Amino acid sequence: MRKRLGATAAVVASLVLAACSNPSSGSGDSGKGGSSSWPKETAKLNGTTLTIWAAQNSNTVAKKVISDFESATGAKVHVVTIPDPYEQGVQTKVASGDKPDLAFWQPTASELTSLNATTNLQTLDGAPWISKFSPALRNITGLLHGKRYAALISSPAVEGVYYNKQVFAKYGITSLPKNFDELLTDARQIKAKGGTPFYEMGGDKWATQWWVQVQLADAAKQGLWDRVNANKETFGDPTILNAIKKYKALVDEGLFNKNITSATFVDQGKALLAGDAAMVMQVNSFFGELQASASTAELNQKIGFFPISPSGNVGTFIPDQSNAVVAFKTGDGKRESAARQLLSFWLGSEYPKYLAAQNTVSLETAVPSPATVPDALKSVAASVPTSVGSMQALAVANPDLYLNLANMLAGTMSPEKVASTTQAQFAQLAKAIGAPGYK
Amino acid sequence: MTLTASTDAAALASGAPPTPPGRRAAARGRRVRPGQPWWFLLPALAVLTTFFLVPTIYNLVYAFTDWSSFKTAINPVGFDNFHSLLSSGVLLADLRTTVIYALLVALFQNVFGLLLALLLEADTSLNRFARVMFFVPVIMSALAVGYVFQALLKPTGVVNSILGALAGHPVRYAWLADTRWTLLYVALIHAWKWMGLAMLIYLAGLKTIDQDALEAARIDGATTWQTFWQIRFPLLAPAMTFNVATALLGSMNSFDIVQATTGGGPAQTTEILNIFIYRTFGQGLFAQATTMSLVLLVVIAVMAFPTIWLLRRREQVL
Repeated sequence: MRKRLGATAAVVASLVLAACSNPSSGSGDSGKGGSSSWPKETAKLNGTTLTIWAAQNSNTVAKKVISDFESATGAKVHVVTIPDPYEQGVQTKVASGDKPDLAFWQPTASELTSLNATTNLQTLDGAPWISKFSPALRNITGLLHGKRYAALISSPAVEGVYYNKQVFAKYGITSLPKNFDELLTDARQIKAKGGTPFYEMGGDKWATQWWVQVQLADAAKQGLWDRVNANKETFGDPTILNAIKKYKALVDEGLFNKNITSATFVDQGKALLAGDAAMVMQVNSFFGELQASASTAELNQKIGFFPISPSGNVGTFIPDQSNAVVAFKTGDGKRESAARQLLSFWLGSEYPKYLAAQNTVSLETAVPSPATVPDALKSVAASVPTSVGSMQALAVANPDLYLNLANMLAGTMSPEKVASTTQAQFAQLAKAIGAPGYK
Repeated sequence: MTLTASTDAAALASGAPPTPPGRRAAARGRRVRPGQPWWFLLPALAVLTTFFLVPTIYNLVYAFTDWSSFKTAINPVGFDNFHSLLSSGVLLADLRTTVIYALLVALFQNVFGLLLALLLEADTSLNRFARVMFFVPVIMSALAVGYVFQALLKPTGVVNSILGALAGHPVRYAWLADTRWTLLYVALIHAWKWMGLAMLIYLAGLKTIDQDALEAARIDGATTWQTFWQIRFPLLAPAMTFNVATALLGSMNSFDIVQATTGGGPAQTTEILNIFIYRTFGQGLFAQATTMSLVLLVVIAVMAFPTIWLLRRREQVL
């Protein structure tokens, strides 16, 4: 009996010691070997297989690029779809040591940190396509601690107002609002005449945070998130708290849809297209939802976009997972080099064909956007150069603000509680990241 | 010889397994060799150790570290995770929700299961067909059940359409967006999914009730209700022990159905602990999520002992 106990104790002790090592730490090769070499775009790669991880909504983005790359170089490229929630699935796999060659990933600093970029990702500094980008977009995102980890492949998403042109005409609104106050004046005008000014998806929740974030655009330009990152300002301080209170006041005033607490993303798209509501505060993926049910001609006729901020028409940019690609340090020099080659090919000679296949706006000065890009998307892209970073882009961590705001809409949390709960979560994440000021 | 056979028969009737030959010999006082060599257990032990013991130990260890997706190093941090979890209030709120959910499921699953078993007790072909139909939800994927009910319970879904037709005016009640009652509805969905299993166990329990006792009751003039409540229901105690224990303790660990129907909403009123763990893990806070699952393990263990003790005590009445 004692012998067996001793043996069990030895097993447990060795497991404890083994547990204290991280399975993903093995391949952290500092990348000094191949990180500065950028191979020719069409160099032969016969016998090399690359894996790209994509989410449900981004797994066909690179289809044309991949087939052209395969014919030009002889490499084989597989796209693996990681089921939603995408970020969670990727983080879990990477934490257990399973890495792809390339993956779609949100290029914000907080999301690059959550993927442990400095250990897991190749740096893309010195890439040949960087200088091809328009100057305003070159360094807007994808950077962490001064190093470039993500390649932007489509125009970053922007938070702003999508509006139904016909509803605006119906309620006599002839010019677009130039700041937040004018937006509210127009909304009240619509409500007075019996319409529904705004539609919010309190059921699916994640879009509720845009209302707070666009109100913080001016403050963000003046360094709000730097102060929050350094623990010099919190979510409970007046700047952010007042934005949350204002959102609640607008909902209480009756400017939103009656079914706000159960409305879904799909309901929101249908409502705007049908003209049941005049405006929606959303990001690019909302327009993707509209494109799934209406033709470009119909969308050009009915749907427009304008960015909004407290003092002007400044958008808040929030690059999402489908906007950028990262390259992993897999330890295999040949595959790492091939991954860089694919990026050069994509953003180099293949770029015009890619834009035509995806019908998306060009980010490079020398390549024009296809003429068939919907007007609303052109407005979105035009607002990027003057836009300001969102919480996701500028804060060091990404708390579940949207969840707490949805609770507020359902009546179970006061604005103060929303702020304090979000701050507590932010502090917990910042401490885990090791941000100074949150030890 | 006859004595042993009748002791065995009595033992079988009360639901205990027949005594193996070795044990009987030991009971008579003679030294006995075990039936199989001990190393026959090794393959099963290996699987049990790899897939059960090792992850549980890792769970215990990681709860005392700062493991996250943000960095590679893992450092021990003592009881930090427990302190911050207990002081945030969310853990205790979600634990309360989970316990209420488990109690509701245990109640409804057993009530529905027992009613079905009583209804379908006779071995007619219609009953046999009905038993199969009621068992189908048990083998359905829990996520599929969740998605189906999410669609049925939408404000514009089928359930409201039927209610509207019956009431004569449109019904637009948001079943899954009620901050007060949605937890009850989700517990009902969970009970619906598993009531077939409870029904099966209760049917088996009903079939093993000694016919002599029932005949005696009939001769003595007991009514159907008296026969049920005072004879059959107490004799169902072993089946009840199994059903209540598995329903209560099993649903403490529930996830799929609630995640698929409400995702923890509305306003986190149906956020059972596993959904909070899932959310925390998704933010990259692996150590904190591990701590929470350790707390859940402890709570379930603490609930298990009194529950099973009480239920087994009921069996001793027999």
